[in-house]
Amino acid sequence: MKALFAFIRKEITEQIRSGRLWLLLAVFVFFGIMNPAVAKLTPWLLELLADSLAESGMTVTDVTVSAMDSWVQFFKNAPICLIVFAVVQSGVFTREYASGTLVLSLTKGLARYKVVVAKAAVLFALWTACYFMGFAITYGYNAYFWDNSVAQSLAASVFFWWVFGVWVIALSVLFSTLFQTNTQVLVATGGSAFACYLLGLLPKVKRVVPTLLTDGNALIYGTSDAQAYTVALIVAAVTAVACIFLSLLAFNKKQL
Amino acid sequence: MDMLCISNLYKRFGDKEVLRGLQLHVPQNSIYGFVGKNGAGKTTAMKTVLGLLRADAGEITVNGERVVYGQTETNRYIGYLPDVPAFYPFMTAREYLLFCGALTGMLHAELEGRISELLALVGLDGETHRIKGFSRGMKQRLGIAQALLGKPKLLICDEPTSALDPVGRKEILDILLAAREQTTVLLSTHILSDVERICTDIAFLHEGVIAASGSLAEIRTKYRRNLYRIETEEASQCELLISHLRGMQRVGENQLSFCEEDCSLREVLRFLSEESISVIRLEREEPGLEALFMEVIGK
Ligand SMILES: Nc1ncnc2c1ncn2[C@@H]1O[C@H](COP(=O)(O)OP(=O)(O)OP(=O)(O)O)[C@@H](O)[C@H]1O
Ligand SMILES: [Mg+2]
Repeated sequence: MKALFAFIRKEITEQIRSGRLWLLLAVFVFFGIMNPAVAKLTPWLLELLADSLAESGMTVTDVTVSAMDSWVQFFKNAPICLIVFAVVQSGVFTREYASGTLVLSLTKGLARYKVVVAKAAVLFALWTACYFMGFAITYGYNAYFWDNSVAQSLAASVFFWWVFGVWVIALSVLFSTLFQTNTQVLVATGGSAFACYLLGLLPKVKRVVPTLLTDGNALIYGTSDAQAYTVALIVAAVTAVACIFLSLLAFNKKQL
Repeated sequence: MDMLCISNLYKRFGDKEVLRGLQLHVPQNSIYGFVGKNGAGKTTAMKTVLGLLRADAGEITVNGERVVYGQTETNRYIGYLPDVPAFYPFMTAREYLLFCGALTGMLHAELEGRISELLALVGLDGETHRIKGFSRGMKQRLGIAQALLGKPKLLICDEPTSALDPVGRKEILDILLAAREQTTVLLSTHILSDVERICTDIAFLHEGVIAASGSLAEIRTKYRRNLYRIETEEASQCELLISHLRGMQRVGENQLSFCEEDCSLREVLRFLSEESISVIRLEREEPGLEALFMEVIGK
């Protein structure tokens, strides 16, 4: 236990001193502010453009924005945040393979599974902290400017998107134990998520693939209810757990 | 009891057989020199002992316990200094040692004192910069410190002195010599003068097996050959000796060396007086380890 905590502490220190923690916090705060800001500025922007739009035959009627527009922005920007997160953290394992720093820790008697557990735990915690901070900022502004209650099933939609992030991170942990470089990890993780997205285009499997969890708009507009996401949620949870389990096995056999 | 036992160890990389039935027994409290040329497989053998490489065949025990690839149980007896030690660059030397101590489960109270002691021992006390800016020599010293941290029963050092200047080298050798009181040391090296200086035992690794091993004294007697060097007044006299006697080897303008086994000293002396060759010098050479090594690997 002591060894595990020591390794977790080392991971956190590394996140802080390498500047990765601050970079991610900055990105998530930025988008947390941008979501309501874009919604707030939309009418003003349209007014500015009204003349030129009118020339091209479009008439701008009075636009009213609500918290809804801000939440739509939230779900539009969440993928960008997740991609930034995945890219910034893609070297968590591979950097150690390249430099050979794990060798000494392991020869000190640190059990191999603790390396995976510590790194995965720090990644999940970091994702959770960053994501919900971004959410809290957006929520706060929305409550101040408008009214959050217009968005239906808001809690569920936000929770589902968080689970999707966890799923992607679990994939990247698995690929980190299988591959040697962070490019390979990114390509494999991105490839898998994209393959899921493509599968999700087929009506028959749409309800099953984890990428369904990213469809927050359907929930807040009430065109879909949270129940419809159950299967995808279970699939995501099961595959995420399986990924972590497999990565423990793979890491035990990895040549360092 | 032997601290480390390697029996019949085989390891290949692709179609390259690096170890071919390696046998090695390292007795307790010895300083064991593991010698072999570049690419002989010293690092490979050591990494297998640490469970970092999978052996194709063979058995390894450390302190009587079997080593299993991918598991770290036996590593609690071992302190390891890799050939190129890699540390977390964002930590200071003290932080790194604290981290290592926590990994081995040492108590914090005990750890603080031990770390100060070790940092002083390797000359890194007062060094508050992060490891990022350390020179190779400083990293090597930190490497020794982390290897000794847990008071290991077996200290494995892969070429501990190769990155160091003569002063640093002497210091590290002295540290290893002092460590012998509490631990067994296995060190690989090409620097045979280091071996002569501190090792009690030695093994020559050649073509995947131990070509010769034993205590330093044993090896010396076993491979002792009476080697002579002779210097004549003129070069032409050397030619004469070469053409008439067996085993004469030219080692300089008018210098030859020969081995008692090829041509007896008596025979040489008789020839010298018969031919009235004027000799400047005739002396017996004490072969160093270097020559022994060449001899063992058949060069
Ligand atoms: N991971 C690997 N994959 C392929 N070949 C390897 C690997 N590791 C070592 N080798 C090969 O095994 C041989 C032995 O290497 P090793 O590093 O054990 O030698 P060494 O005795 O430590 O040499 P040196 O004195 O240069 O450190 C070399 O020919 C090397 O090319
Ligand atoms: Mg080597």
